[in-house]
Amino acid sequence: MSNDAGKAHLDCYLDQVRRHLKGLPQVEVQEIVAELRSHVLDKVEGTPTPQKVEAAIAALGSPREVARLNLTERVAAELEADRSPLTVLRGVGRLAGLSLYGAFAGLVSFTGYAMAAAFLVTAAVKPFAREHAGLWRVPDAHDNYSFSLGVNSSPHGQELLGWWIIPIGIAAGLVLGWLTWRFGLFSVRLMGRSARRPR
Amino acid sequence: MGDPQSDELGKWEVQVRRGGLGLAVLAILWPQRLYGLEILRRLDSDAGMSIPEGTIYPLLSRMKAEGLVDSEWVEAEAGHPRKYYRLTDPGRRRVREMAHSWRGFAAGLERLLAPMEGELR
Repeated sequence: MSNDAGKAHLDCYLDQVRRHLKGLPQVEVQEIVAELRSHVLDKVEGTPTPQKVEAAIAALGSPREVARLNLTERVAAELEADRSPLTVLRGVGRLAGLSLYGAFAGLVSFTGYAMAAAFLVTAAVKPFAREHAGLWRVPDAHDNYSFSLGVNSSPHGQELLGWWIIPIGIAAGLVLGWLTWRFGLFSVRLMGRSARRPR
Repeated sequence: MGDPQSDELGKWEVQVRRGGLGLAVLAILWPQRLYGLEILRRLDSDAGMSIPEGTIYPLLSRMKAEGLVDSEWVEAEAGHPRKYYRLTDPGRRRVREMAHSWRGFAAGLERLLAPMEGELR
């Protein structure tokens, strides 16, 4: 009876790990969970009492922590095989919910790529929407200004760069995109290294 | 609050161990196939490397993705299957290269530490 309670405790723990791994393919999730089960059963040496199972689980880490370690290593391995901006962005996105730094890296990456895309799209659209596309300074009701990039619909907006938005937009978009890509690679490697920290 | 010097020494030790962890895991697998818990125990008993248990499987998974190790599930006498890891040929080449590099690094450091020999006893 006691061993049944221990096994139920283990099943509950593994279910939680499975839930935290939902970003991974099902085959990989099953493999990870099966190996964790095998590990715990080896640790309890044939007598899975609730106390022994709890001790083995505590040594492995919380379900969230175990999932974080597995996801981080897998994303880092994927990036070593394919470093395209899309793979890097997807990898950073998968790690964003796992730690504070992951969330920070996700926010910076999303903002960086969005700004890069805005510069490039504005530069590309400019020849076809000469009067409407560009970098704009728009006054508000309190005599302050705000800046916007892209297509402006306010009649009070003042365009700042004219045709220069094309070379400047292309250069800024490419540099921002490259910096964001490098930051994403650095972040995933950093999270991978910190996940492998010995005591 | 801990002793700052002792904290710094602790951080340095972590960095050194982190650098050697990959080599240690591959070296443990040199003579035979092992499962995760055996690798953890050998790391602890033979190399004094106590790593959080949850970190070994992601590390092995990454080594497998890199083609350095291979794995297979084996029905064990314990009554449940175990996942055994063994070195692949590229893994053997890698561990030889890493060991060579490590030996060169360690020998260089030993030469630098030689004048302190009396102090270290």
